[in-house]
Amino acid sequence: MIPILALLRESWLTLRAERLFKVVLALNILVVFAYASLGFDKTGFFIFYGAWHYENEFIYSGSPLATTLYLSIYSAFIVNIWLGWIAAILALISTSSIFPTFLSQGAVELVLSRPPRRSTVFLTKYAGGLLWVGLQVCVFTIGAFLASGWRIGLWDPAIFLAIPLITLFYSFLFCINVLVGVITRSTLVALLATMVFWSTTFAIRQADDLIASRQFANQFQIAQIETRIGELLQTRAKIEFDGSSRALDDIDDQLARQHDRIDDALETSELLDPWAVWISRVRAIVPETARTIGLLQRSLERHTDISFTDLMTGKAFEEDDEQAIAEEMAYGEDDEDTRRWQERAQRRRASMEATMEREQAVPAWWIITKSLIFECVVLCGAILIFRRRDF
Amino acid sequence: MSAIIEIKNATKTFRRQVHALRSVTMRVNKGQIFCLLGPNGAGKSTLVKILMTIVRPTSIDGSMLGHTIGHKPTLRKVGYLPEHHRFPLYLTANQALHYYGGLQGMPRKRRVARIAEMLDLVGMSAWGGHRIGTFSKGMQQRIGLAQALLHEPEVLLLDEPTDGVDPVGRRDIRKLLTRLRDEGHTILINSHILAELEDVCDQLAVLVKGQVAMEGTIDELTAGHEFWQIRYQGNAPSLDELDIQASDEDGVIKMTGVGVNDVQPIIDRLRSAGCIIESVYEQRETLEELFMRALAIAESDDASTPGAVRGKNT
Repeated sequence: MIPILALLRESWLTLRAERLFKVVLALNILVVFAYASLGFDKTGFFIFYGAWHYENEFIYSGSPLATTLYLSIYSAFIVNIWLGWIAAILALISTSSIFPTFLSQGAVELVLSRPPRRSTVFLTKYAGGLLWVGLQVCVFTIGAFLASGWRIGLWDPAIFLAIPLITLFYSFLFCINVLVGVITRSTLVALLATMVFWSTTFAIRQADDLIASRQFANQFQIAQIETRIGELLQTRAKIEFDGSSRALDDIDDQLARQHDRIDDALETSELLDPWAVWISRVRAIVPETARTIGLLQRSLERHTDISFTDLMTGKAFEEDDEQAIAEEMAYGEDDEDTRRWQERAQRRRASMEATMEREQAVPAWWIITKSLIFECVVLCGAILIFRRRDF
Repeated sequence: MSAIIEIKNATKTFRRQVHALRSVTMRVNKGQIFCLLGPNGAGKSTLVKILMTIVRPTSIDGSMLGHTIGHKPTLRKVGYLPEHHRFPLYLTANQALHYYGGLQGMPRKRRVARIAEMLDLVGMSAWGGHRIGTFSKGMQQRIGLAQALLHEPEVLLLDEPTDGVDPVGRRDIRKLLTRLRDEGHTILINSHILAELEDVCDQLAVLVKGQVAMEGTIDELTAGHEFWQIRYQGNAPSLDELDIQASDEDGVIKMTGVGVNDVQPIIDRLRSAGCIIESVYEQRETLEELFMRALAIAESDDASTPGAVRGKNT
């Protein structure tokens, strides 16, 4: 135990000596202050501690939307963008040198010539690297916890879930960084390889989400066309009974167009399906960086009457969703272009909702387990190389 | 004498091509200062690194402190100073020593006491709170020695211990090594500075091309290679006239393989020729001369570069 503590203490002293660590820590505190500057009163909300005030009929002190908005800003923007992107890149820049420096000639001998086993040294050093992110997120979440308690009266320990989740997310990238660092002993190569890997996982995720969204949109379009065909057939039967051949021709034309549209939609479906299968298979292997961070949002959502999905789709701002759709449908019912425009709007919203529901349906255990399996495999490879290498 | 380190048939081949060690066998006894000599690339550092588990041997038999070589817990009793060591520059001397002491499994209380003691021993007690990054090479070398001695090891493996140290520091290190040996520690030194080892070395081995070219005590290895040296002024008779097997350079006659009785007539002849005798003394072969002789023997066995051997093992 003493050697492990010695290695961890050395990691802490390394962090303390890092200028970038202090800079990011200061930025974290600044972001927390900015977050805490947003507040609510009876007529609306204000930012920068009251420097700007906005009246709003939905967002005011005590309204369900205010809670949703405040927690959304924390989980979807600050955690997702600041900790999940900017701070993570800065952390990568800072921690990429840990293993190459440790493995440099003259330094590694001083550690490997001691009683602890190489695998113990490796894993402790690895944990020391994660300490960078862990400490930063720790400071950040303490601030966010105090801010949410002060601004919306929510003292929820679930906010601290950001610490393990962000650290876990970072570890999925850091394992690649360490593997490449152990192989090449180059800080730059390790950093570049990690960035390439991260970009690849991002591209895979985007491609999967995009294809899924297109598939949902396509399914809704087919359903809409089928409904429209049903309506047209009813109209046709009515006209047939009345005996107006010109109107009948017009309906037949419309029916033919709808059949063409349904053929196009089916064709698109056939095109997308194999890609969807391929991408989902690839995604099953790579770690879930974004989904891991997204688990925080899921956890915080239980405190809100309005879901983040409703907030994102705009549904939260409508009094009655069914009524809104009916209004949309009623407007210019006979006009084909208007109808198309309405259908498109409905499809967009429905596919967005379906995509978000699809995200919510992925179980947390699956997201974490499969990502951890990936990390374990990469780390096992790195440990194997480290254990067998001559220095 | 009991063997503290016993190496049998140590072989190391890097990437199936470079034969750094070829069946090296040697023995370091308790309470000895054992010097490992050899040209660059002879495999000295590789051998020490194998003992310290930094390099994995291709094959090896033998033991260190009664355990198989490579047995990690044994390293608690071994101190090591690597060549070209690089300490974390942001750590103070105290922090670095706490770190390395911790890695050896030393409890904090013991570390605190030993660190003060060790810094005092290496003449750095005033520098404990300073960052290593501000130290000169010699100062860093002293810290290196302190970390190697911190956990009171039974065996010390020192790779170029006087590297970068000033003459006073070198003398101090020599004194320290002698003291440690007298206290019963076993020390293995790997160094190029042969003159420094001469006074402290009990036993030595010369490695050339990954093989032991010579091994034994200095007395054993220099036996038969002592010579008498006569320093004189004036015009001496030629060596043929003196009828001796010797060399005469700049007023110094060197005679190898002769006894004190053989020297007397030569002195008489020189005096009768009007020469002034400045000094007459018997001299042992220096470590450098011994080293060069070992190299020459190894070279004659295998005439190629003095470093590690490439290609198929021989």
